[in-house]
Amino acid sequence: MLALIVMFFYIPVFLAFFWSFFLERPFGGGSEFVGFQNFRRVLSDQEFWRAMWRTLLFMVLAPGTAIGVSLVLALAADRGIRLSQPARNIIIWPKAIAGASIGLVFVFIFNPRLGLFAPLNDLFPGLWNPRIDGTDAYLTLLFAQVWNGIPFNFIILLSGLQTIPDSLTKAAAMDGAGPWRRIIDIQIPLLTPQLFLTFVLEFVGSVVEAFGLIDTMTEGGPGGATTLLVYKIYVDGFKAYDLSGAATQTALLMTAVAIMVALQFRLEKRVKYER
Amino acid sequence: MTSTRLAPAAAIALAATAIPAPAADIEFWYGNTGRIETAIQSACTAFNESQSAHKVVCVGQGGYEAGMQKAIAAFRSRQHPVLIQFFDAGTLDLMLSDAVVPVQEAMPDVDWGDYINGARSYYETSTGELFSQPYNGSTLVFYARTDELAKIGVTEIPQTWEAVIETARLLKNSGHDCPFASDAHPWRVLEQFSARHGVAIASNSNGYGGLDAEYTFNGGLVAQHLNNLAEWRQEGLVLLDQDTAAGKYNRAFNAGECAMMEASTGSYAAAYTAHGENVAISMAPMYEGVERRNTLIGGGSIWIMKGHDDEDVDAARAFLDFLRKEDTQIEFTRATGYMPVTKSALTRLENSGEMGDLVFATVELGVSSLNQPGNADSKGIRLGFYVQFRDIFKEETQKAFNGDQTMQEALDNAKRRGDELLRRFEQTYQGATLP
Repeated sequence: MLALIVMFFYIPVFLAFFWSFFLERPFGGGSEFVGFQNFRRVLSDQEFWRAMWRTLLFMVLAPGTAIGVSLVLALAADRGIRLSQPARNIIIWPKAIAGASIGLVFVFIFNPRLGLFAPLNDLFPGLWNPRIDGTDAYLTLLFAQVWNGIPFNFIILLSGLQTIPDSLTKAAAMDGAGPWRRIIDIQIPLLTPQLFLTFVLEFVGSVVEAFGLIDTMTEGGPGGATTLLVYKIYVDGFKAYDLSGAATQTALLMTAVAIMVALQFRLEKRVKYER
Repeated sequence: MTSTRLAPAAAIALAATAIPAPAADIEFWYGNTGRIETAIQSACTAFNESQSAHKVVCVGQGGYEAGMQKAIAAFRSRQHPVLIQFFDAGTLDLMLSDAVVPVQEAMPDVDWGDYINGARSYYETSTGELFSQPYNGSTLVFYARTDELAKIGVTEIPQTWEAVIETARLLKNSGHDCPFASDAHPWRVLEQFSARHGVAIASNSNGYGGLDAEYTFNGGLVAQHLNNLAEWRQEGLVLLDQDTAAGKYNRAFNAGECAMMEASTGSYAAAYTAHGENVAISMAPMYEGVERRNTLIGGGSIWIMKGHDDEDVDAARAFLDFLRKEDTQIEFTRATGYMPVTKSALTRLENSGEMGDLVFATVELGVSSLNQPGNADSKGIRLGFYVQFRDIFKEETQKAFNGDQTMQEALDNAKRRGDELLRRFEQTYQGATLP
């Protein structure tokens, strides 16, 4: 097991950092040590910062929305309103669909001529076209990512809600607290461990998992509007044989994600696990 | 040292020695899929059945780019095949890779002069030595639907951009929604355009003269053409992929949405299936007053990779000889719509009386387009990290088509970013000389 982790995780990570200090020829044979030149180049490249900015925006919007929506759904399902039982079941299903398949389906759903918004385009021509408009494409991608994240978050949050002792909510209700009050003062505070878990997972997922969606839905376009850093690295390294550039960006992305996860875990110290 | 620490080293050592290929079998990796893959496989079978000394195992890699990625990984771990097909845009990366043996060096006895000019110049060195064996060759041509043109009284296929646009205006005015379709891919609007107009997209004759080339397409005729395309698109005369209902220019043409398009000779079969005798093709349009030069060959060529023993290289030679045979080429053309790449195969095809057959409809036109008199700037593209540059070009021009920047800004940006790539390529291959 350890050997596998070393082979498939630590060695690649090490190589990425190693290559980021070299100019590496694709077929090998003649790599040149260039110190921090790759970093200087990448860090002064506008395209890198644009991709980084898109990634950061995505890292905030996708987890935020996915967890927000899941929380609403979980709270509703937890209240035992009508149809909450079948809903608990049905909402889980999308989890079983691979990112690439979701991408294909959403391309069709958001097709400007055949999809959901086609009638809208008939009324206001040019209103919705993710093939031309970068913002539309970004929204489509965001929507797919959120949709992809909801089932898992939902089940975690719902199970968290169900472990909150009945006696607490009942006592609050007897004291005259309405449903909203109970959500804000009891359920959400007691749900912080689950919220934290989903947030960390969604956060990392929004960097890594978005790849499958981008590759099937937009291939980074139009005009680079959906080129998140993870996709840029793939294109630079695998399509363009720029191993050094891709390695440098990987090193930077890994560092950025590591810093952010570290920050999250500092935040985690405030999470109370005991009830 | 504990055994857990040893385990990874052992695992790596094991992985490195795994999968030894039997001595007599050699592998050929290719990127094509679908109909073309079937044709490649039947050529392999035919070769294996025609003799017993060698056996070639042909392995599809699911795409040109995927094939190149796998070849790089395989070469770095010494698991690479003897023969591999690469696509046009990767030519310089391979020439400098030190991973291949030039075919002309490996097989000095072959009459390499038999290859048609357009196929040769793309894959030969500055001294005229062929580096790889041209295999599946295509080029850019112009497609029009005669029935649609007849409706507006146009009976001649337009030969110039001026005529194309005039026709497009007539179509537009008669209510046609998609007069002309393209995808503005650099292969079409940059490489093939500049070659046949005899202008360079980069200094040093597109890099043939050395690695210190710089992009120049942001001025002159190429820039003019791209600015025109953007204007024509505004006017509704030219539609790009994203403007069509079909989502792709050639599908839009085949579906009857568009009346004209610029596309590869390889698109003919599908277009004919869709529209029958109403599809007409001619050489890609020129601007008036510019002398027509050759178009560039698209598709792929076959390279011999280094690091194999003589026996394997012998097998590779035999297979390349087989693929070069006139009959093999004609069969391949029949099955795929690609063009024969040697003069003798062309002559054989002409003499067979089959040239009039529909399956060979693009051959005469495509070959004569490739064989137009060339100049120093129409030989091909020899620029580093060119695959990455194509993506940059697409990204920047796409922004211009979307209205985020002007076309001139897009071209200037693409030039700037492209030059950065060229400088990095030059530095990566410091000390290497351009063959």
